[in-house]
Amino acid sequence: MTPSTQMATSKSLDREIRSPLVRIKRLKKSHVQRRPISRAKSEVTALQDASLTIDRGTTFALIGESGSGKSTLARCLALLEKPTEGEIWFEGRDILQLAPHELFAVRNQIQMIFQDPASALNPGMTALEIVAEPLKIQKRCSKAEQRDLALGWVARVGLPSGSEHKRPMEFSGGQRQRLAIARALVLAPKLLILDEALASLDLANQEMILKLLADLQREHSLTYLHISHDLRQVAHFANEVAVMNEGRVVEQQPAAKLFAEPRDSYTRELLLAMPSLESIVLDRFA
Amino acid sequence: MKYLSRRLIHAILLLLAISFFSFALLQMAPGDYFDSLRLNPQISSQTVDKIRAQYGLDRPFPVRYAFWLRGALQGDLGYSLASNSAVGPLIGVRARNTVLLSGTATALAWLLALPIGIWSAAKRRRTVDRAAELATSALLTVPDLLLFLALLLLAVRTGWFPTGGMTSAADDESSFWSTFTDIAFHLVLPAFGLALAMLPMLVRHVRAAMIEVLEAPFVRAARGHGIPRLRILFRYALPVASNPLIQLLGFSLATMLSTSVIAEIVLSWPGLGALMVESIFARDLYVVVAIVMLSSIFLVAGNLLADLLLLAADPRIRTE
Amino acid sequence: MTLRHTLRLTIILLAVLHALIFFAGFIAPYGFSSQNRDLTFAPPAQIHFVDAHGKIHGRPFVYGLKTDALDPTGYEIDPSQIHPLEFFVAGAPYKIAGLLPATRHLFGVRAPSQIFLMGTDAYGRDQFSRFLYGGQISLLAGLLAAAGALTIAIAVGALAGYYRGWIDEILMRTGELFVALPWLYLLFAVRAVLPLHIAGWQVFLLLVAVMGLLGWARPARLIRGVVLSAKERNFVLAARGFGASDFYLLGRHILPQASGVILTQLALLIPQYVLAEVTLSFLGLGVSEPTPSWGSLLSSLQQYYVLSSYWWMFLPAVLLVPVFLLYYAAANALQERFRSVQL
Repeated sequence: MTPSTQMATSKSLDREIRSPLVRIKRLKKSHVQRRPISRAKSEVTALQDASLTIDRGTTFALIGESGSGKSTLARCLALLEKPTEGEIWFEGRDILQLAPHELFAVRNQIQMIFQDPASALNPGMTALEIVAEPLKIQKRCSKAEQRDLALGWVARVGLPSGSEHKRPMEFSGGQRQRLAIARALVLAPKLLILDEALASLDLANQEMILKLLADLQREHSLTYLHISHDLRQVAHFANEVAVMNEGRVVEQQPAAKLFAEPRDSYTRELLLAMPSLESIVLDRFA
Repeated sequence: MKYLSRRLIHAILLLLAISFFSFALLQMAPGDYFDSLRLNPQISSQTVDKIRAQYGLDRPFPVRYAFWLRGALQGDLGYSLASNSAVGPLIGVRARNTVLLSGTATALAWLLALPIGIWSAAKRRRTVDRAAELATSALLTVPDLLLFLALLLLAVRTGWFPTGGMTSAADDESSFWSTFTDIAFHLVLPAFGLALAMLPMLVRHVRAAMIEVLEAPFVRAARGHGIPRLRILFRYALPVASNPLIQLLGFSLATMLSTSVIAEIVLSWPGLGALMVESIFARDLYVVVAIVMLSSIFLVAGNLLADLLLLAADPRIRTE
Repeated sequence: MTLRHTLRLTIILLAVLHALIFFAGFIAPYGFSSQNRDLTFAPPAQIHFVDAHGKIHGRPFVYGLKTDALDPTGYEIDPSQIHPLEFFVAGAPYKIAGLLPATRHLFGVRAPSQIFLMGTDAYGRDQFSRFLYGGQISLLAGLLAAAGALTIAIAVGALAGYYRGWIDEILMRTGELFVALPWLYLLFAVRAVLPLHIAGWQVFLLLVAVMGLLGWARPARLIRGVVLSAKERNFVLAARGFGASDFYLLGRHILPQASGVILTQLALLIPQYVLAEVTLSFLGLGVSEPTPSWGSLLSSLQQYYVLSSYWWMFLPAVLLVPVFLLYYAAANALQERFRSVQL
């Protein structure tokens, strides 16, 4: 299933291809916490002043330690949380300012894969139901077409035939993640956010999923945003890398440049902590 | 301190809401105590109206509530038309009887539940525990009504215990000691039955609380150090388990006025529950409201007490 | 027995129990108000297969009763009167579920003889029939009230847990108010509000409504807890990411997670409400005569002479035990089953 083809003049086509897919400007998110008995309020800031730009077709990686705000940023981008301040431009529109019905249409363009595949799938639904659900919610095509589409995707992500009636419990971790990917892609999104999606898988599975993702990216012109705390892993496949620390994006550069000549001191510290990184980088970029 | 005052205010507001609620509820009663008077052809309806006005029953609802509230805060809970006396002293006596009954029963229940619960927890999954669990489950399924009817039957058939009431033939001249034993004798069956009714849940909670503590790492460490079992039980586990148990005690206290209703009715114990039923049949408005309020006060106060005891006992909460 | 089997067994037995009560009209040989003034406080009939002469009968039978020579108020078995039991007999008309008229009864003896499996009461009414009909009232009250309370609890719990903020505050504070009420007393108080002798079914419905209204607070708190944790689960977020409405999320993803709590609460509330109805009827505050309820069947036991001389009047109380046993067993099994799923 191919994404909708863009019928446009070559000029606007050029412009579109050149302008970034996503532009996040000065995102801020804080929320108030209350202590249980004393009722004292304290403000917790997850995002301070985060900005980054994602180009079309890239495999973008957002690195940071836990608590740096990378997951919060991802969720804001996926419209699962609302930032307190800032703008998120997607394909030339500030999606934070959209009316609800316009938002509904945008939602199918940005999808998210979560870290724990088990929790991301409703244990009471079958694989087919899970993959078809987005179509049902978005009220696309008829029931029969939904079913065919869902089945197609289940097969495409490499799940054996006959899987469609099984429940998540009956799949392995890697298979569940594939299911999650199928569900995310069934609406033909442009941007796929993977929030530590590989963290809970063993190495063999990670390799297989990465390969699947690479194939899918070619076939459907997808843009990926990987959220990770694992610099080493990201060095294997990222085109563009951004580093987050304490709610701010401290550096964003193409991967090769970032690993060779990091500009920010924090980035340098991170890189220093990974001795084996050099060999990976040399392998890939030299 | 701030916590305490906040809880107190909360409790008072709650009680005010309850008083309003119950008063409003009873205002919806079509008709009142004087309906039976109206049926009497010898009494003219004007006389009835005059009497009603005398008791303030003809004023609109908010006025009646305001008057009642003001009076209640001063200790005057209105007038019982059925028993021709002020409500306050009337329910005072009955409440005293009820507390005597449920207090004894609660004490008895706790005295039994603690050892049984602790022992079951200590000998978890062994025969003792299984037997106790079976017994409590069996007790739980027997409805209170049946329990008290059975006890009544026992009294009737065997004549070992009096079949109801609180005292035998009124004899004002009897000594304190003979009155004491007389009441005690009458107390046995209802208190025992009530204790049995409370027992299953108590045992379960005590057991659960103890088990949770006994499985904690610090207890296992103590056992690993070779500290004798009994010492662990009483000096290590019990103090920590007393946390939820204190709350449970508060809850026991809270429901003290309302748990004995069935016992009082079946075994003719002259308590608050019995008065409640009588008042309903007599459409004695103020008594009903006063009883609901009194038991609500107990409930709210009991829960508040439990929370306060918890606060005092558990330093962790205080430091937050 | 494994957990699943226990659960299945209790549910099946409960279904059987309810079916028996539902078909009270068919199973009971008599109506609930038919009196026999000359057979007051008759003891339960015993079913025999062998008669006094040692002869074996094809059909089970009961003996007739005659007045006791020694005690004019008592009865004596008359071996000369043999009344065989017949099945699927035509008898007094009744209505199944209050709608379908019928006249066939499961068993009976040919008139003018009677069969009283559980004896008779002060008016000579068959206790067995009254027990079955009484079950209809008491069980129905319990079921309806529990259903009502749970419906409110689900709505409140879902709203409070999902939307949080001021809705949560208000709802939970109101819930605290309701939990703080001495509900039995309040039930009495409401009963006091209603005129003492209004139409039976109106009393019934009002009492059911009040019980349901008083009992939602605790289950609502539990359901709210489940909703709070469930709404943060990733599959709910994912569905929200597809643009699902709140209503869809609650109905399809969140509330199903609470099904364990809901079912367990149902199994606990029903016996509680049945007992409340029984208590009220016992005190004379429930449905009015002649409609029987399990409670009103027991109220005569408050009289000394009934308690000491007529042991069969106790039977309804004893029969209550298996009913509660089944419900509590079901509640336990449900709790076990859903606890293991959540982990």
